[in-house]
Amino acid sequence: MGKYVNKKSFSMALSFVVASSVIVGCSTQETGKSSASPKASGAPTAAGAVYPISTQESLTSWEGIDTNLASFVPNLAESPFGQQLEKETGVKVKYTHPADGQSKEQFNLLIASNKLPDVIEYNWGGGGAMAYPGGPEKAIADKVILPLNALIDKQAPNLKKLLQQDKELDKMIKTDSGNYYAFPMIRPDNGLVFRGPMIRKDWLDELNLQVPQTIDEWYTVLKAFKEKKGASAPFTALYSNELNIQDAFIGAFKTANRFYIDDQGKVKYGPIDPQFKDALTLLRKWYAEGLLDKDFALNTDSKALDNKLMSDSAGATVGLLSGGMGRWMDTGKKKNPKFQLVAAPYPTLKKGERAFIGQRDFKYNPAASKAVSGDSKNAELAVKWLDYAYSEKGSLLFNFGIEGDSYKMVNNVPTFTEKITKNEKFNLQQMVSQYTKPNGPFLGDSRKSFNTFKEQDEAIKIWGETDAVKHVLPLFITPTVEESKELAKLNTAIGSYKEEMFVKFVMGKEPIEKFDEYVSRIKEMGIDKVVKINQDALDRYNKR
Amino acid sequence: MPTFGIFRDIRKNKLLYVMLIPVLLYYVVFHYGPMYGAIIAFKDFSPRLGIWGSDWVGFEHFQTFFTGPYFWRTIKNTVLISLYQLVFGFPAPILLALLLNEVKQALFKRTVQTITYMPHFISLVVICGIIKDFTVSDGVVNDVIAFFGGERTTFLLEPSFFRSVYVSTGVWQHIGWGTIIFLAALTGIDQEQYEAAKIDGAGRWKQMTNVTIPGIMPTIIILLILDIGRMMNVGFEKIILLYNPGTYETADVISSYVYRVGLQDFNYSFSSAVGLFNSVINFILLICSNWLSRKFNDTSLW
Repeated sequence: MGKYVNKKSFSMALSFVVASSVIVGCSTQETGKSSASPKASGAPTAAGAVYPISTQESLTSWEGIDTNLASFVPNLAESPFGQQLEKETGVKVKYTHPADGQSKEQFNLLIASNKLPDVIEYNWGGGGAMAYPGGPEKAIADKVILPLNALIDKQAPNLKKLLQQDKELDKMIKTDSGNYYAFPMIRPDNGLVFRGPMIRKDWLDELNLQVPQTIDEWYTVLKAFKEKKGASAPFTALYSNELNIQDAFIGAFKTANRFYIDDQGKVKYGPIDPQFKDALTLLRKWYAEGLLDKDFALNTDSKALDNKLMSDSAGATVGLLSGGMGRWMDTGKKKNPKFQLVAAPYPTLKKGERAFIGQRDFKYNPAASKAVSGDSKNAELAVKWLDYAYSEKGSLLFNFGIEGDSYKMVNNVPTFTEKITKNEKFNLQQMVSQYTKPNGPFLGDSRKSFNTFKEQDEAIKIWGETDAVKHVLPLFITPTVEESKELAKLNTAIGSYKEEMFVKFVMGKEPIEKFDEYVSRIKEMGIDKVVKINQDALDRYNKR
Repeated sequence: MPTFGIFRDIRKNKLLYVMLIPVLLYYVVFHYGPMYGAIIAFKDFSPRLGIWGSDWVGFEHFQTFFTGPYFWRTIKNTVLISLYQLVFGFPAPILLALLLNEVKQALFKRTVQTITYMPHFISLVVICGIIKDFTVSDGVVNDVIAFFGGERTTFLLEPSFFRSVYVSTGVWQHIGWGTIIFLAALTGIDQEQYEAAKIDGAGRWKQMTNVTIPGIMPTIIILLILDIGRMMNVGFEKIILLYNPGTYETADVISSYVYRVGLQDFNYSFSSAVGLFNSVINFILLICSNWLSRKFNDTSLW
């Protein structure tokens, strides 16, 4: 009984604290607004922290650990980067890392445990399955994270400056009601396109074929790979809830395997478009003829994919720039010096057309952004600590590591030392992961490049030639709390059904004539409501 | 009077009852205590508001599940997989135990036992990895099929094969382990009964049907009741490790659905409503099977 009473009074105390912080939050919003007025923006902002900060307090942080780094040390604090960050900021941080591949489950358990660390690196505003359900507005309403307006205003001059300079970025990292909710990972301009179709150039040369540009050319190429090169799975890709081939081939039919914005600026759900049927018919045909990996739905980890590409069972795939292309070239060339992968443009139906959609990310990467938890007793310190990453010195540390150790200034350009680039035992990414933070809330530097092959530099250009900017739905649209409840109910069922039918249609388990039936089923499940919510959220986003 | 008897017993065996306290506490703290969490099935649970702070929504989550598109499918899959498990998995160790019992060669018997119960100790994740590798289109199983002129199929992508793969690998993994309890029961049979049967002219077959099987019947019945009581609890781990959207149709059971919706999509309330519903069915099944068994067999759990 005593325990119960204690708990109750504790929760009352907590709710008082929370309530008062809300009041603080509201009042600060006004200050935030006034500072945006021309008069105030000219005035000097708060000086911010002097680093290293002299403090006795320490912080706790929950964040994913880079998989490369994890093979060296179990905890970020033990890495050269972590130690250097502590030295430069003067703040001691205790990190907790979720197990690789389980961050979603472990995040959900963390939230349910009710004992939150000071800062949490997670997808707070990106939507999708890997985000906080209900979005940032809900997270704030749930008191899981704090609205940051006042804190940024007073304690984070570096980020504040960036937000004042870049209105687009500013729009991305706040909610419709104007709450800032996270310290963003900001990608440099040349880091926005990093995934696309790629193909074995050495095979093409051998078969006297060109890099395919249209769907028909792809068909010819894949067929040749199968018949003349004996590839058992000419095209393969990683499959995790969404088949990665969606970006590559479905876009040719002027639709997408998800929500997208059509040419009129309207939100559409691709999988129920009439054109989607054509895309399915194509994939189905390829599957039936053995051009698509027969076991595609089982490729849920990269191991299967690696095996197929390295054993010459596959000649084309969709993948990442460095984690995919770079890595495969590395390993592939060791076995067969001729091994060469090149980027193929996102295919279209007619030659010379520009691809409707492709991979293109946004400046702001919500998946690696940090929010300050509602429980944090050290919110001010946390914000000061986070703001360091946007300062000039901090940015160098996050991007390049430690001067004189991992990088040198060459003609004012930070350049990785040979210790990093020419290590005998470890590759570039493995080395870099120890000295920098590959993903996280900091300002990305366009001078940093992981590319080790010229094919990678070309790939960025080739994959960038799409109309993705127009058609990709911004990740940062934020449904209201009410809307997100509705979404939570509808999305799981729709997504699950769509995925199931997609696999069945492609594998030929379900006659393609059933497409209309499938569309009306999805409509029954309430897709129109979901589209409307997304449309409303997009409209609000555009008005921010 | 029975109650009076208990009190007298307590007075008599104080220390024994004191030793019972930790056990009772364990159940109260770890088994009955958490039950109050089941309330979230009737609430719109938000972790930050806590169980009491969240709003009541009554039976809304149950309604959503019952009227939802996956209600019948998950039930059907759960029942079918359990049923197959019961039909094929339950008798398998009994048969193996009976066969082993007839083997007089001790070395052979021990070898067979060791080999059959070894898979029980391999982690499920590894087992599922093995199953995947064996059944992909260029895996061992398909190599054998192709060798005999059959057509290659990726078994785990075929809804029609999922249950067979699930149940047969389950039998393979647990058959040896399951025999242990029956072999133990077999040693408990009075040898004089066999002598008597032999004198009456019973051959080995007759000995088995008239002495051995009736001898282990009570064990079989008890285990059967327990198994039926667990019937709706198809372990979600193995399902999740083996299924994919292509096989949801036959593979998605209540527990895997609860996992997807609850932990992955953060719908704790909905998923605990489904879980609660599942437990209620289990409870009913257990009561019914116990009742039936008492009625026809005189053997029962209580």
